[in-house]
Amino acid sequence: MKTVEKLVNPVKRAGEQSPGRIYDEKLKVRARREWRGLKDTLYDYTRWLYLIFVLARFIVVPRNIKGFFRYRWMMSYLFVPHGMDKFTVGLRDEALRIAHTSFNFVIADVTQAIANCFRGDRRVGNDVAYSDKCVITDENSMVTFMMGFDTKKVHTILREVPTMFASNIFHQFNVMHYLDIAQQYGIPGDVCPMPEAEAGISIEDDFCVLGKCAVQNNTTCDGSLMGNGIIAKRLEREYGIPTFQLATPLRHKEPDVMEYAATEIKKAIAFVEEHTGEKWDWAVYFTAAKRVNDATRCRIAQMEINSTPYPQFFGAAFSLYNDTNYMGNSGRNADFVTIDHKLLALAEQGYRAKRMYAKEYRHRAIVWGVQPQYVIDMLYWLVQCWGVVPLTDMLSVINTDMIAEEDTPENREQAYRDMAMLNMEMIMRNHTHGGYKVLLDDLWELCEKMNADLVMMWEHMSCKALTGMHGMFEEQARERGIHIMWVSHDLCDPRVFTRQAIRDQVNNYMRTVMREEPLDPSLENIPDNEAY
Amino acid sequence: MSKLLKLPLYLLAAALCFFVVTFTIYMFNLDMKATALLAPWLEKWYDHLEHKQYI
Amino acid sequence: MRDLKHLIYFENLLQEANNALVAQAKSDGKICVAYTCENVPEPLLNLGDCVSIRLTAPHTGSMDIATYYMTNLLCEPSRALLERAVEGGFNFADCVITPDGCTMMNRAVENMELLHTMGQGNPKFFHEYMEIAFKNTESDVDLSVLQCTNHVLRPLHEKYGVDISDAAIREAVARHNKLCRLIREIGEFRKGDRPRITGYEFHVLCLATYVCPKYLVIDKLEETLEELKTREPDEKPWRARLLVVGSEMDDSGMIKLIEEQGALVCCDRFCFGSYPGRVEIALNDEEDALRQVCRHYIRNCQCPRMMNQEKVYGRKQYVAELAKEYGADGIIYEQVKFCDPWAYERTLGSSMLNLDYGYPVLSVDRPYNIASSSGQMRTRVQAFVESIEIKKIQRGEQA
Repeated sequence: MKTVEKLVNPVKRAGEQSPGRIYDEKLKVRARREWRGLKDTLYDYTRWLYLIFVLARFIVVPRNIKGFFRYRWMMSYLFVPHGMDKFTVGLRDEALRIAHTSFNFVIADVTQAIANCFRGDRRVGNDVAYSDKCVITDENSMVTFMMGFDTKKVHTILREVPTMFASNIFHQFNVMHYLDIAQQYGIPGDVCPMPEAEAGISIEDDFCVLGKCAVQNNTTCDGSLMGNGIIAKRLEREYGIPTFQLATPLRHKEPDVMEYAATEIKKAIAFVEEHTGEKWDWAVYFTAAKRVNDATRCRIAQMEINSTPYPQFFGAAFSLYNDTNYMGNSGRNADFVTIDHKLLALAEQGYRAKRMYAKEYRHRAIVWGVQPQYVIDMLYWLVQCWGVVPLTDMLSVINTDMIAEEDTPENREQAYRDMAMLNMEMIMRNHTHGGYKVLLDDLWELCEKMNADLVMMWEHMSCKALTGMHGMFEEQARERGIHIMWVSHDLCDPRVFTRQAIRDQVNNYMRTVMREEPLDPSLENIPDNEAY
Repeated sequence: MSKLLKLPLYLLAAALCFFVVTFTIYMFNLDMKATALLAPWLEKWYDHLEHKQYI
Repeated sequence: MRDLKHLIYFENLLQEANNALVAQAKSDGKICVAYTCENVPEPLLNLGDCVSIRLTAPHTGSMDIATYYMTNLLCEPSRALLERAVEGGFNFADCVITPDGCTMMNRAVENMELLHTMGQGNPKFFHEYMEIAFKNTESDVDLSVLQCTNHVLRPLHEKYGVDISDAAIREAVARHNKLCRLIREIGEFRKGDRPRITGYEFHVLCLATYVCPKYLVIDKLEETLEELKTREPDEKPWRARLLVVGSEMDDSGMIKLIEEQGALVCCDRFCFGSYPGRVEIALNDEEDALRQVCRHYIRNCQCPRMMNQEKVYGRKQYVAELAKEYGADGIIYEQVKFCDPWAYERTLGSSMLNLDYGYPVLSVDRPYNIASSSGQMRTRVQAFVESIEIKKIQRGEQA
């Protein structure tokens, strides 16, 4: 089997050594916050203050209070500081700053998204003029087709992000209610719980109702595509919001689907123009395209740092930021550029200082598959508890090609193909769809490139695209001498696999297969199954 | 001492109080503990809301 | 009713994928084009010496090997097919053409390819995967034409020298239409108060046209049609007439189980059934045949993965029209366990057909091989039939 050189951290971590001890089963939250040494604790404290400020600024607006008491999913956002603590367990120095910078930016973005939803929502703010300039899109959606619309004139509302995707991260039980509703109406329990919960929210009438029109797509999976039908029915038939289905080919590596994909983008743009009355602006598009390329360059640099013995980017906060930037932003917001460079500068600083984030690095891992929403902090745990360094996760392995960024007549035509390419190569589906090569071969190439000896394979049990290759992963890993550690979960439903049940799969593998002892035994069993 | 000279002291004292209070809340996770106490009541509130539920 | 003369013959053909007629076609020098999804235009798989054979795995029991490769969370048809492929049950295939329709079936075929389950000793053997349309627009027709050209016609021509000209396509469509006409005429006998063919018998005949070389079943189907014209129907009335809608039905035992409860399956709207799979393709002389065939498949497609709202609502309208045409008293929406597209489709469909169109609907999931779990299904169908009878009594009609 392949092995990597064990690295021992010559520097003792500041502050407490066993952050696992601060969990308290009865409280459902932590007994106290982590002592990280004076400097990092004070930094963490200021970031906590900032979060409280962001949340307070949100809730002082009367319509947001109204929305808070109208929508069940809003309860999750009371637990944002709890989420922040999950994302920073055991972190110090640059890693702590990378996590906070990305997490706090995402929170500010999501908070703004909720505020926008409430402003236009017919039940809450009912700002009709604003709503008439809003276009609703899916949660798992690239918004490339909005890149050429001035963000001050047309607003893109990823309605499902705050409602379902993010809310599940902060409060693990909050979508269970919607899953139960969906199943009560006949959707089986074996489909992916994410689109199922979204369908449940629609059935429960718990989505904000706003927008001049909506654009849905089939980017993720069969379940997501099918759930859209249920959501569109309510949007169109009850609320009179016209809905366009943006078809995105699955076999995205085949050149013969490009023309169709580009045509679909053109149709989506025409649909938005028709309903909002705003025109596509090429100057706006190419400015956004430059930002997309800038983000791509940063991402390539990040991957290079993580390929070294001293990786600096890991964990959910960073991954979440990447998702938001790539899918939900797609170059439309200039603020992301600043954050991209700030993150990269922090990582370079950490790399130069040979900063390590655990006592030892025993294994270098590629994390493949789709992570559970309710244990999204697992990768921090993995490195702290077992010294397994997650070099990258599948959702962060996205496009590395540059798109046309100069406004020329040829590039305007190329732009449709670029948008189509980005749309087809959306997070997750760029590996889970498009043939087995992008799922299997890409993984082994990455193992080679990043010098990984272990693959932590998230087996999202309802993700049929991934589980459909289970045996092939095993066989090919064996042929290549790479350890493969399966960790099953059910994405949004903690009743199927609790947090500890998920961690135990790693504990068992590390003890029985790898015959190792944990670096920090206080983390091996954490009483947080009932925690928010 | 004139009031003007005392002002920085007041500000410093206020900042110190702010720091002590908020840092205590932060360090002992009092914000999340209070939220955890509130959550069951909120759930009951949401359970009682009327919804136009259909597929 | 008197047994149909060729029923046992057709039943026997459904007992294994590599049946007697497949073997005969191979010995006739035919090229066996295996496929797994009804979204592939069937006439294109029957050009010249090609014969299309839909892969099935009758009498599936254990699926241990397939479950290892794909886990127990993938739909049973996909696992059953992989298991059968690993066992060597599809070695007759000269190529496999698979659209990226539903993810699970696509993964099943990818596993077949990676495990080299077929094509041993045939250097010309190939696997092709194709993108299929999501909507019913002209650009979807463009996509379909391109995909069929690149992933069906060109490989067949390059590997096996198959004639892929416009004339050859028209000739294949003519043969296809002849078969469709036969099946549809046979299916018409399910109409009326005294149907001359049961849903089970019809399903056996219809399924045989997918899993056997068509040129070898035509004569027996023609004889059966003639036989039906004079067949004396049963005196005993059926308790209810049901339309079955849903995932692919490779197991006629499911239809038999429903009919054993006294309900006639008067119409079928499932993958590889007669609607829309056995609807004739109308060709004109102005446009090239390939484009017309592709347009036919897109316009008539009732697959739940077609995502535009016209199609989403159109599918329910289509079911309602069939129910009306065939005089159905109720509708069974069935979904093979773990099938994602039909999981959602049956939820929305069963709701809309009941609330918007007023039909009693039974919404069920089922195993691939009904013999593995028939008791529960029997109880569900019995209760449904009784509920329809009670409603009839309440309306003052004769039960």
